[in-house]
Amino acid sequence: MVQTYLEEFDNYMQQDAHEFLNFLINHISEIITAERHQLNNSATPTTNGKVTASKEPHNGSTSLKFDGSSGSTTSTGNQESTWVHEIFQGILTSETRCLNCETVSNKEEDFFDLQVDVDQNTSITHCLRTFSSTETLCTDNKFKCDVCSSYQEAQKCMRVKKLPLILALHLKRFKYVEQYNRHIKVSHRVVFPLELRLFNTSEECPDRLYDLVAVVVHCGSGPNRGHYISIVKSHDFWLLFDDDIVDKIDPSALEDFYGLTSDVQKASETGYILFYQSRDTS
Amino acid sequence: MAGQTDLNSGSVSGNSSRDDVRTHFTTREGVYKLIPLAEYSRANRLSGYTTIQNQQGAALGQGSNPPVRVTFVSLPSDPAGFCDRICFNYGRELYFYTYKGIKKPADLSKPVDKRIYKGTSPTCHDINKLTISSESVMLLVGFTGGQIQLVDPIRKEIGKLYNEERIIEKTKVTCIKWLPGSPNLFLVSHVSGQMYLYSEDVTCGGPVPPTYQLFKQGAGFSVWTCKAKSTRNPIYRWVIGNGAINDFAFSPCSKYLAIVSQDGCLRVLNYDAMELVGLATSFFGGLLCVCWSPDGQLVVAGGEDDLVTVWSFQQKRIVARGQGHRSWITVVAFDPFTTLYSSQNSSSKSSKEGADTVSSNGIGGCEDELETKSADIATCYRLGSIAMDTQLCLWELTDDVLKQPYGSRSRASMVSGPGSPPTSLKFAGQTPTTGDRNSSNTLTVAPINATIATSIVSNSTATTPVNTAGSLTQRLASLTFSERKAGQDPDLKSHRKNFSLGSGKNSSEKSTANSSASKSASSAPSSVQSQSLVTGCADPLRLIGTQACPRLDEIPMLEPLVCKKVSHERLTALIFREDCLITACQDGIVCTWARPMGPSPHHTSNSTPTNEGTMV
Repeated sequence: MVQTYLEEFDNYMQQDAHEFLNFLINHISEIITAERHQLNNSATPTTNGKVTASKEPHNGSTSLKFDGSSGSTTSTGNQESTWVHEIFQGILTSETRCLNCETVSNKEEDFFDLQVDVDQNTSITHCLRTFSSTETLCTDNKFKCDVCSSYQEAQKCMRVKKLPLILALHLKRFKYVEQYNRHIKVSHRVVFPLELRLFNTSEECPDRLYDLVAVVVHCGSGPNRGHYISIVKSHDFWLLFDDDIVDKIDPSALEDFYGLTSDVQKASETGYILFYQSRDTS
Repeated sequence: MAGQTDLNSGSVSGNSSRDDVRTHFTTREGVYKLIPLAEYSRANRLSGYTTIQNQQGAALGQGSNPPVRVTFVSLPSDPAGFCDRICFNYGRELYFYTYKGIKKPADLSKPVDKRIYKGTSPTCHDINKLTISSESVMLLVGFTGGQIQLVDPIRKEIGKLYNEERIIEKTKVTCIKWLPGSPNLFLVSHVSGQMYLYSEDVTCGGPVPPTYQLFKQGAGFSVWTCKAKSTRNPIYRWVIGNGAINDFAFSPCSKYLAIVSQDGCLRVLNYDAMELVGLATSFFGGLLCVCWSPDGQLVVAGGEDDLVTVWSFQQKRIVARGQGHRSWITVVAFDPFTTLYSSQNSSSKSSKEGADTVSSNGIGGCEDELETKSADIATCYRLGSIAMDTQLCLWELTDDVLKQPYGSRSRASMVSGPGSPPTSLKFAGQTPTTGDRNSSNTLTVAPINATIATSIVSNSTATTPVNTAGSLTQRLASLTFSERKAGQDPDLKSHRKNFSLGSGKNSSEKSTANSSASKSASSAPSSVQSQSLVTGCADPLRLIGTQACPRLDEIPMLEPLVCKKVSHERLTALIFREDCLITACQDGIVCTWARPMGPSPHHTSNSTPTNEGTMV
């Protein structure tokens, strides 16, 4: 179905699950927005009935999205709020303190998911903590301070200002390694609990308790091939979807998808996107 | 180990020096050193074998191997002079070696006993301390299939099997322990959330599945007996909480049992009376491990929130959390040998004796008495924790931190206006919570609340001056651990008040109100928590912000004294011994760390005089 909408997916190329999620969320909200406009402007019908995905970046036929330092999946500009936003959208605030004039500037950013770096033998809690750890901007990456009117060294810290109803966590398991001159899959063991709270929220952010509801798992040894399966909690049962095969699994089997503790390159089945649902909504 | 290092050099994680595996670390008392010759592992491990094993193991899902656990035993005598024995499991194997300490190399070619199981793997084990002789030990082993075996690794006797046909229980054994002081009774917990009491010398009833009869029901748990013509196993069946029981531990006085579960709850039970005396929860996720302080005053748990949670037995609340691990905490253990005690009458007493004194006191009741008696009370506890992050953390829990009043945010109203009105507001605010959860319990709760209210009103004159001190401490509570030390003075005032009055009238804390309430309200479980105890409700959405699960800014957040990566693999066992500490990891290697040489570091800490000053 998606194929008919976007030529990018209209082929048999390998696709990245996170990129797809990104596309899907943006696309749904665009459709809804377009429909709304159509209703409002029914007197002057536009030819905009057929939604084009022109806003989507057509970055060729790359099968996987390699997030370098790019930010989170952000909504494009000042979009209208739709149910997709109500479910997935949260707000990040990045606090930057110029080390020259000590001025603190805040920048807010909407997000549909958080992209976290993974370290060996850590928990998703730790990865989120690292995501919010204070980063010093220096050398090539200096901060343009409005007060100083120049590039200065600065300290930057990302916090969550508004937690979404469904928190999507994207584990950055595909990294470019200079040593190999290519992208490789990072199969590090990252444990994720069935229940989660965030530590890296800003002060005004109300606390939320999350339950794990779904996991997208990447199976395979590298970034250019492999297979996706997903695990979804449905009516208190955990179901594993592998193409057309659906199995009921024990929640303890989630342990199999944490990753590998040795750094040898080999096939692994690792949690790639985690979906946590806020407890008070269910 | 060398083989693993090679593998890691090709790692993509950009390992910094921080991530190098340590062979020594330093604390105040000196340098702890890894003793390579005292490394225990599976028999006759070839050099480089670990590497191969690791690769294969991972491919075969080594992650699903049960964690490696370690049990020590000291025999009364040994012809060669080596009395200590070490027992550990690895995969489907179980090893029993002579442990030769930190001076003599481990002889891995001659295990005393070695067992390889088919179709099921050992998960945990325990040795009966009461029946040890040089010729015989009673080693209990629990398995992934739920079975239990009693073996004698010295006589090499194939012992009895319990739940052999998995009729009583089908899920994995998570913890197994002999009942303290019993030659034949043992307790076994399972992933199913059930815990069974077995008697070593009683039949399991053959192929007949047990029929149970409700014996006692409490908040969030029930106890069942086995209906049969003659006595059979299991003697009792406990059903506790929601989800797997991950670990349990008896208090030093043997009277209380702390249980942690996958539902995130820490439950403290009076074991014989089968009553719940305390409940707390993790910040989020399951709790995986639990232990008691040597004096029985603190219960510490660790789990999937990457936090160490410290619960006070006396105050019946979480008093502190510790943040330092990067993944789930698998074992917490107190180090009785570096824990400092304030011993007024005999400062020369060794810490070990101290622990014994307290535990004997505890039989008369772990509560209250300890605090007011001049018995040895620990003033600076040393706690160790290990985690899946391959790190070892050591923590110091000092008196001044543990005695800090609860809550900086929630108590704001009390600070602004000391006296009864805000207090009654506070309790009034909590009553409905219980009420709408289970209206039938309102009657039970109401008298307790009434007592609290009256006791506070009667105390209100005394609390006024102390409140000022309380508010100071609160402000300090939001500072970091190191900064907080400066705030001892205001804290001390409230302590002196507390001690001199003897009946716990301190800075109008909830806890104080509770303890006085419990005294007047006879056998009522003492604590505001009693409300959650009565309903047994462990709903994290309701408990957050209470003393059973404070918010992050409501109690002190500790930082570790030492936090070192000591392994390449997930750590699974931690034991403190007099001259060393023992760590084990998922790939089956048991390491010995020699303690620093020199005089033992008793009563040299700055916290000891602090406490003596308090207890005028």
